[in-house]
Amino acid sequence: MQLARKLLYGGITILLVAGALSLATSLHASAYEPGVLDELSSVEVPPAKLEPCLHCHIQGEHTNLWTPTARWLVFGTLGLVFLFGFWQSASIWTQRKPFKPLTTRVADWIEERYQIAKPLNEMLKKPVPSFARWWWYCLGGITFFLFIVQGTTGILLAFYYKPTAEAAYASIQFIENEVYFGAAIRAIHHWSANGMIVMAVAHMIRVFIMGAYKPPREMNWASGVILLVLTLAFGFTGYLLPWDQRAFWASTVGTEIAGAVPAVGTLVLIFLRDGWGVTEATLGRFFGLHVLVIPIATVVFMLMHFMMIRRLGVKRPL
Amino acid sequence: MKDRSSHEILPDDKPVPFFPDHLMTEFWVAMGFLGLAVIIGAIGMFHHIGLEDPADPLNTPLHVKPEWYFLFLYQLLKVVPDYVFFGQIEGRVFITVAVIVALMAWMIFPFFDKKEDTKRAWWIRAALSALALIAIIALTVWGEVS
Repeated sequence: MQLARKLLYGGITILLVAGALSLATSLHASAYEPGVLDELSSVEVPPAKLEPCLHCHIQGEHTNLWTPTARWLVFGTLGLVFLFGFWQSASIWTQRKPFKPLTTRVADWIEERYQIAKPLNEMLKKPVPSFARWWWYCLGGITFFLFIVQGTTGILLAFYYKPTAEAAYASIQFIENEVYFGAAIRAIHHWSANGMIVMAVAHMIRVFIMGAYKPPREMNWASGVILLVLTLAFGFTGYLLPWDQRAFWASTVGTEIAGAVPAVGTLVLIFLRDGWGVTEATLGRFFGLHVLVIPIATVVFMLMHFMMIRRLGVKRPL
Repeated sequence: MKDRSSHEILPDDKPVPFFPDHLMTEFWVAMGFLGLAVIIGAIGMFHHIGLEDPADPLNTPLHVKPEWYFLFLYQLLKVVPDYVFFGQIEGRVFITVAVIVALMAWMIFPFFDKKEDTKRAWWIRAALSALALIAIIALTVWGEVS
């Protein structure tokens, strides 16, 4: 049907409906004329003038036909426009493309740009032997998880820690007493560090006993030992950071022992202490090692460690 | 060689997909440790890790002890005689160098252990681990009480 014809029929419909309804309401309005309801005196009915119908304001003061006609025309047209819009929307809705959930659309968007689905799927669906789900194969994974905990809590602590001789001690006090959950974060960092060493050693003993270090997994073992040394280095450098008596003297003695190595000892000692004695420079050096150098090295060796074990698979137990 | 090909998964391994089966196992273990961390944090709110007195380079404390995981090495350094090998080498230097050499050997020994694994070797390694662990724990406890 042409639009003009549609509009014509629509207009006629509006006129007819509006006329009929106006007529009906006008006639009905006469029931609200004063005096009509007064006769029903036994019933408590509010006076019509004071309690008008709020929907159409038919109070009896406009008894002519044109007020309701104009009202019905305006609102009727608006209603028809609304119905027309609803109808159009509904017909577009029925002709829509097949529905795709938001997740699918996001996945499609990513796939269109990165083409990652196939390798990712291969990676995720890689078969793992059932025996690899025994708890003793989880020790390495726990170590990794604790490393993530350490990274997270370490970042939170680094927001407030100040690696200078004057401020370090006070900043730890500030973390413990003033910062929201600062004491909790420090406790988690402290105990996860110990847990990480325990888990790493347990993982190493498990691998050693089960003979999983044998070829072709020697490089896994070598990188694992390096990771253990890095974990211990984390502990050693982190121990100085509170800058209290225990920290200061443990680091003094520890670096002294490193200095006892023939030939390279003195160089190592000067490198670690950044000078001859344990000073603020040492604190800065240990801080840099603890939050930048050792974490980056650990992540690099962890990546190698994980990539190799993904390729080679967990060793089948005897 | 059975061991070298062990990355090929056999039907009697009853393979499961890495995701979700294997990853979910790891995930729940991690969640358990996360719960543990939360508990530790909650306790840590009331029992602070705390600090000793501020560092004072002029005031050496009577007992200097490293963290527990270095304690066995520290104890080894403490109990070694001043001079070993007929007074030729300083004891501390010997222990330090020996530990570094042992660590390096420990790192590269798989490159020389290419034999097929056996049940017997398994038990020998387990016994060696137990012995080493007992020795380390004994040294640590000794260091802790001394």
